[in-house]
Amino acid sequence: MRRGSIVQLIVIGVLAGAVASAVALIPDWLPNSASREAGRIDFVFWFVTGICIFVFSIVAAVTVYSVWKFRVKPDDDSDGPPIHGHTGLEILWTAVPTMLVTAIAIVSAIVLAKDDAAGANPLRINVYAQQFFWSFDYPGYGNKTSAVLRLPVDRSVVLTMHAKDVLHSFWVPEFRQKQDLVPGLHPTLHITPNKVGTYSLICTELCGLGHALMRSRVVVMQPAAFEQWAKKKSK
Amino acid sequence: MGKEEVEMSSIAEHHEGQATHHGPPPPPRGWRRLLYPGLLRAAWMVPLFFGLGSAIVVLCRWWGGWHPIWFGEIIVLIGALTAAPIGFLAGIGAFDYWVRYCIGAPTEPEDHSRHGAYSWRDYFRVNTDHKVIGMQYLATTIFFFLAGGLLAMLVRAELAKPGMQFFDNQTYNGLFSVHASLMIFLFVIPAFAGLANFVVPLMLGAPDMAFPRLNALSFWLLPIAGIMMLSSFLVPGGAFAAGWTGYAPLSVHQPMGTIFFNMGVQWAGASSIMTALNFLVTIITMRAPGMTFWRMPLLVWANFTTSLLVVIATPFIAGSQFFVMFDRVMHTHFFDIGAGGYPLGYQHIFWFYSHPAVYIMMLPGFGIASEVISALSRKPIFGYRLMALSLMAILVLGFSVWAHHMFVSGMAPWLRVPMMITTLMIAVPTGIKVFSWLATIWEGKLNFATPMLWAVGFVSMFVIGGLSGIYLGAVPIDIHTSDTYFVVAHIHYVLFGGSLFTIFAGIYYWFPKMTGRQYNEKLGKLHFWLTFIGFNLTFFPMHLIGTQGMPRRVSDYDPQFGNWNLFISVASFFLGASTIVFLYNMVISMRRGAPAEANPWRALTLEWQVSSPPPIFNFDEIPQVVGNPYEYGVPGARHAVLNGDRAPTEEEIRSH
Repeated sequence: MRRGSIVQLIVIGVLAGAVASAVALIPDWLPNSASREAGRIDFVFWFVTGICIFVFSIVAAVTVYSVWKFRVKPDDDSDGPPIHGHTGLEILWTAVPTMLVTAIAIVSAIVLAKDDAAGANPLRINVYAQQFFWSFDYPGYGNKTSAVLRLPVDRSVVLTMHAKDVLHSFWVPEFRQKQDLVPGLHPTLHITPNKVGTYSLICTELCGLGHALMRSRVVVMQPAAFEQWAKKKSK
Repeated sequence: MGKEEVEMSSIAEHHEGQATHHGPPPPPRGWRRLLYPGLLRAAWMVPLFFGLGSAIVVLCRWWGGWHPIWFGEIIVLIGALTAAPIGFLAGIGAFDYWVRYCIGAPTEPEDHSRHGAYSWRDYFRVNTDHKVIGMQYLATTIFFFLAGGLLAMLVRAELAKPGMQFFDNQTYNGLFSVHASLMIFLFVIPAFAGLANFVVPLMLGAPDMAFPRLNALSFWLLPIAGIMMLSSFLVPGGAFAAGWTGYAPLSVHQPMGTIFFNMGVQWAGASSIMTALNFLVTIITMRAPGMTFWRMPLLVWANFTTSLLVVIATPFIAGSQFFVMFDRVMHTHFFDIGAGGYPLGYQHIFWFYSHPAVYIMMLPGFGIASEVISALSRKPIFGYRLMALSLMAILVLGFSVWAHHMFVSGMAPWLRVPMMITTLMIAVPTGIKVFSWLATIWEGKLNFATPMLWAVGFVSMFVIGGLSGIYLGAVPIDIHTSDTYFVVAHIHYVLFGGSLFTIFAGIYYWFPKMTGRQYNEKLGKLHFWLTFIGFNLTFFPMHLIGTQGMPRRVSDYDPQFGNWNLFISVASFFLGASTIVFLYNMVISMRRGAPAEANPWRALTLEWQVSSPPPIFNFDEIPQVVGNPYEYGVPGARHAVLNGDRAPTEEEIRSH
């Protein structure tokens, strides 16, 4: 390969990388983050995005360069060079992707383990889903029930899932965490809200007729306000 | 070259002359026509079998003392969805040979009189010619592609604005469920089977598939499955509406339309399995002399691995749908927790098929891309053996990743990390394929005819789909994006940008071979560019609204996503309209296209060494395979020797 074509190839790669980075950075890809877990998940998201932009730039550079340089005129019937392979290259593009995905797997596994580990003295809440409502009950507060999920800020929460009829799924985009509710199983989900506010809770597992409208609210409050609310309406 | 062409055309004439001697016997006249295999006989055998099925139900219920004796749902299941299709198959004559054999009647000698198609009517008959069956597959699958596409247009119409527009929730859920089912079971999987049906025996140097009658039967199961899925819109309660995934327990308690899905999958699945067995036996036993496994074109390798996937995996989805149906009609308790059932079991069984199904829908496309890219770059495929081995690696790894669809499902938490590792590892063989295609076009002599546009378009779109797959493979990101529009974007990049682009590449690439006419190149290119642009405008923004928080499978959504959804809907109508260019091109080119040369792409594989369309029995003499299939640019290299040519000697090759 001539030096000129290497420069051209690199220029195209940098341009493709710039376009991909602009696509990654200009729109708001992720909603506001309102939990400690969200921060870690976002880290994995941007870690993977970095690797993907790198891979995309290489592929785009080679593709665009080839399409631009190697197309022939309709009357050119000649054949290309009979290259059958290159063991070094083949080892390279087996080894490098293996290392990249291994890095992604390690980062993901660490974040997953951290997100799953509830802190000391977590607040335990039972989540109930049925077609097409959510309800919540607080065993630590005399089984107080509520149709809106109220949480104190900066405290670990462990949600235990109960489905009464079919599958549902608990998702608050600002918390990033998601868990299906399965009849007969009681999986848990761990969240540590870290920003006061009101967020929407969305059912993300198709559950029938009213699935699209099966929503509720999550209110993250100051601990004192939460205690006051939780104790006041206790049965 | 010129001399060869003359020879080819004389072979073709020779065959046509032969064919007139061998044509099918003329149909009988008068009332005997009702007994002659065909649609007319099917027209009375379908109601007959429906009646028989219904009578069995009524008799059993009367005998067992069950009320009501006339029970609509069971009548539909046994009469309409089981017995009537068998009546249809018997009517058109798919079983004639075997029935005659079983009752001791004289069977028709296999003189191949049912080979070849002499008029359009022959495409509506049971035909054992793999080339006719290939065309039947393609026409049928394109029909269901259009039906599935129109359903997608209705979905996008509903989603153009937040709030409810045209449909109620149940109808909307039915629209996307049937859309996905048709596209998967009636378009992508069988369209690849159709292309392979036409091409694989030719590429192997074989006169037909190993089991021509089984081949015909497996085709005729398809329209049954498709009509079943579509007609579910007409039954009380509407179409099946639990998604193509049909998760239990929701699917158990849906209106009657659900059993149309349960049974439709059985018919389509049976078709798939029979075809796959046929391909396996054909590829293993019917290769021309000299065609070793390491001389097979990559399309054959791709269909070999795909067929293994189909044979091993498909029984699992058949089982999962039977379990749902049995819970419903036989009161078993597979998914009823009240009686000790296990709803999550459905997902494990379902995805044990449906993840390998992703590769069933992609590996044949890899094969097509390899053929097109090598021939139209005028270069040997880069790293042929590693390309074949990476197909095998995907086949094996593909069975170890199913639970990555279930990271948030509530399954045992420890299972997530191992499934993530295997999922991410499968990116390695897939990456090898992508890099090898790029290395193949590198320094090639690229001819950007329509098939090449689709093939290179496929590689670039599939890269995006593959990279979004890495996001979904990483568990923490998947937890956020699972069941959102990010997933919708991902599957359309791999199944539309991947599978559909390669199907189009294959249709344009082999169009001259199949029809004997050349398609219109300008319209082909126009079709590519309209689709390419429309596709990206439609599906790329879905990544964004997905990560921002829009769930999938909803008829209504948060108004903050209104602008993007309107944009996507408009783009999708543009994308849908681009299909008109394709249809127009196919129809006019089939009727009035310029006659095609035997080998317009100057490709080396065997299907291009016979006339276009190929002679009825493919090869005059069995070809002798003497080399690799992609030796472009290698002086004196030959893939095969046909029709009395002799293989070049070592000295001749060296002296070139």
